[in-house]
Amino acid sequence: MLKLMSFVVAVIVWGLLSLTLPPEIFPGPYETARALWGEIAAGHVGTDLSMTMLRVVGGLILALILGVPVGVIMGLNRRAEAVLDIWVMIGLTIPSLCYAIMAFMWFGLNETAAIIAIAVTAAPSITINIWEGVKNVDTKLVAMARIYEASRPAIIRRVLLPQIFPYVMASARFGLGIIWKITVLVELIGRPNGVGFKLFYWYQLADMRQVLAWTLLFTIIMLLIELLILKPIERHIFAWRPQVAV
Amino acid sequence: MTPAIDVASLRKSFKGRDGTSRAVLKNLDLQVAAGEFLCILGPSGCGKSTLLNVLAGLDKVYEGRAAVNGGRIGYLFQEPRLLPWLTAEGNLDFALSSCRVPPARWSELKTRYLAMTGLSDYRDYYPHQISGGMAQRLALVRALCVEPGILLMDEPFSGLDEITARRIRSDLLTIWEETRKTIVFVTHNAYEACFLADRILVMSGGAFQKQLRVPVPRPRSYDDPAIFEFSRDVIKAFGDGTSEPAAPAVPATGAKLIDDLDRHTAARMNT
Repeated sequence: MLKLMSFVVAVIVWGLLSLTLPPEIFPGPYETARALWGEIAAGHVGTDLSMTMLRVVGGLILALILGVPVGVIMGLNRRAEAVLDIWVMIGLTIPSLCYAIMAFMWFGLNETAAIIAIAVTAAPSITINIWEGVKNVDTKLVAMARIYEASRPAIIRRVLLPQIFPYVMASARFGLGIIWKITVLVELIGRPNGVGFKLFYWYQLADMRQVLAWTLLFTIIMLLIELLILKPIERHIFAWRPQVAV
Repeated sequence: MTPAIDVASLRKSFKGRDGTSRAVLKNLDLQVAAGEFLCILGPSGCGKSTLLNVLAGLDKVYEGRAAVNGGRIGYLFQEPRLLPWLTAEGNLDFALSSCRVPPARWSELKTRYLAMTGLSDYRDYYPHQISGGMAQRLALVRALCVEPGILLMDEPFSGLDEITARRIRSDLLTIWEETRKTIVFVTHNAYEACFLADRILVMSGGAFQKQLRVPVPRPRSYDDPAIFEFSRDVIKAFGDGTSEPAAPAVPATGAKLIDDLDRHTAARMNT
């Protein structure tokens, strides 16, 4: 309820603020929504949105493939941790724009390069999450499992993975948050379609109605994914967790 | 008859970070008869948990002999060590399947030991939904379910409030009298040792200082004055046998070191 009210307030504030500038520079909520509806009705949205989604999902999967194993190794092995932690920091520091430029220069202006740039940018943050998670693994539970004669694979599957999984989940969500933003940037530089391309296109035409319309669309889609897909999955998987009141 | 546990000249030392080595078990000899209830009484850091880890096979780096006959080992830790993402029953199933107990017997075993500990109605509860005492009781059920011949217990009730601990101790004796498992019970609580054990070994500084037989007949009652009398003698004996203060002793600075080292062995076990 409070959430809904905060949305209403935000739209009102937007509306009021937009009155301070001419509508072609700062359109209000009504005009933005009308522009968005126009795009959707004209069928201009589908291709760009699905291409962006493809890059986001592809980038996320590749980022997990790159980031999770490194995080696990760093959590388990002190020496690996000592060598790799500086590299994770470096990876984290380099701006995503640099990765995008390098990927397009080296691999060409294609989907593969886009997905590589996205994944490489997001992978270090995923690694950090997993690394922390693996370090927090409760070795007392491992000793318990050994008392009960559990085999090594069984210990990994039934004692270690369930402890690491929440961190994989958290890092995937966290990674997704980063990946949305990089994807738009990558599309702006090197792809002929997608939400980022559209934003840049309308920016060059100085059409703020369309720029805000596409921003709104993107935000709504992101929220829907969060609320309708990720949250329910999390609730289902972590049903065993105690509810914490803060 | 071969003893259930046969330890001879058992030695173990830990290497400190500065390279010096510190003996934690000094030439231990120990025989435990099948069906005996033995308590090892000693202050924190005296090496009693290390001894249990060796007996359980969790710690394989030692000199001397440590043989355990008479079947599977059950182990009750200081904390319940339940898997938090599994229900009470799920935790029991984990132990039963890990120990390869034939599935046909699971239901009978679970029902039996859950009933013995009064947990029959809590099968579907997650560990965080039950109290600490119930969680420790569930851990006991888990240990009993796999039908160990020998039960090793490492201060299992020291984290519980006195009233709960008292009730579980009585439950444990009832179960032991019914099943007659060999039990090695480590504690720093002299009264607990006197109530539970046939025999008490007083341990300190990595060696057994004294052996005492508990003269109180069974079945015992927790408030029996004879137990109280005897526990006083035990504490006194404790003072004689060692230069350290009587139990419950303040852990010396060395004890902290041992905790650290234990964590290192745990970490090594994991890789």
